[in-house]
Amino acid sequence: MRTKLILALLIGAVAVSAAVLLLQGQRTRAPVARITRDGVLLEEIDLEETQAPRSFLLEDERGRNLISVEQGRIRVLEADCPDQICVDQGWISDGTVPIVCLPHRLMIQIVGGEEGLDGGAG
Amino acid sequence: MRSRTLPALLALLLLLPAGCQKAPEPTELTTFAMDTMMSFTLYGEEAQTDAVLAWIPTQLGALEAELSATREDSDIFRIDRAEGQPVEVRACVSELLSDTLELCRITDGALDITAYPAVKAWGFTTGEHRVPDEEELAELAAKIDYTAVGWDGPAVTLPAGMELDVGAVAKGYAGDLLAETVRSKDISSALLDLGQSTIVAIGTKPGGKPWRIGIRDPAGESYLAVVELTDMSLGTSGGYQRYFEEDGEVYWHILDPDTAAPARSGLASVTVVAPSALLCDGLSTALFVMGLEEGSQFWRDHPELEFDALFITEEGQILCTAGLEGRASLAEGYEDREVTVLR
Repeated sequence: MRTKLILALLIGAVAVSAAVLLLQGQRTRAPVARITRDGVLLEEIDLEETQAPRSFLLEDERGRNLISVEQGRIRVLEADCPDQICVDQGWISDGTVPIVCLPHRLMIQIVGGEEGLDGGAG
Repeated sequence: MRSRTLPALLALLLLLPAGCQKAPEPTELTTFAMDTMMSFTLYGEEAQTDAVLAWIPTQLGALEAELSATREDSDIFRIDRAEGQPVEVRACVSELLSDTLELCRITDGALDITAYPAVKAWGFTTGEHRVPDEEELAELAAKIDYTAVGWDGPAVTLPAGMELDVGAVAKGYAGDLLAETVRSKDISSALLDLGQSTIVAIGTKPGGKPWRIGIRDPAGESYLAVVELTDMSLGTSGGYQRYFEEDGEVYWHILDPDTAAPARSGLASVTVVAPSALLCDGLSTALFVMGLEEGSQFWRDHPELEFDALFITEEGQILCTAGLEGRASLAEGYEDREVTVLR
């Protein structure tokens, strides 16, 4: 009787741990745009969940960047930085090349979505 | 029967905790240093990874202060304005200069740290771009000569009128230093991205698989190839990284020390994989200047440098050295392209 109880408990433990492992394996990430300034996270936007296009302003003492988001992509629409590199880059939709506004220390990076890559060089 | 089942099941129970462990979560940091955005991903004991990440920006700031050619308190700035007088430099600058001058020598001047006046003349340091005329270029080229750098222990002498800059290798040097610290803290899995052109992979990913790094298509905005790294560094030099256009002509920031003009060797980008990030940085620039033929011959002639390279030509041809076979593959969407293996 005691053995049966231990056996039942063990089978239960195996089942629970198997379930935990399976659930962990299913966790996948959709492409998410992470906007940081000086490395501090300002916004995290799920690009797949974005249905209607929208714009919003990011502003601090260095200057302003107007960000535009559509389903699956993001860009800097306007900025008052001197070089306009962030605006000229246009839309990004994957993690290949992040948008960086060096004068404003602003970075928009897309993470997730691209299975199997840990970094990019170029 | 009963006596055997129970111990077997108990043994199984002992194995369970290992299987139930959560997938390790990385500690991450994104920071601005050396004119670029850098990001660091560390796996390990949280107390250790947090301590290392807290220390990285300080270390990068200190390096920048010593290596920048534009900051008035830096050793490099003092060398450039010493008018031929010897300048004593700090230990890390001394180490970096000695390693870099050695690379200049090995590459027969394809890498040359004294090209700085030419880089300035083209406006790549300020963003106020201009195209110098032929006479000016000839004058600039005549003053590019790493062999004129006097090197006596910690004292550096540079002839008046010449200027040096370690921008081509500074991020690689920083990568090597940071990697040393990360390893010394028993962190066996980390990815140090020093602004995309320089990447250091420490160990493998948790679970034992190599880090997978996408290599950018010089002609587009997506990844063209994927390189797998285990305890390796990677450096990429490409004309697309910094350039300007004038009258329909593209002028990029990688200059040929022989002409003081942008290096047009037929290559669009060179990626170098080697244990040392400084070597990766310096060699990717040098091989870009040399071009495919000379560059691949350099690889054959220098097995002692333990590096491999991936060349992408301006026509879009992809070539890699034999050591990357099995470690480099074509990225999604580029499967129909051909990779030539150099031997």
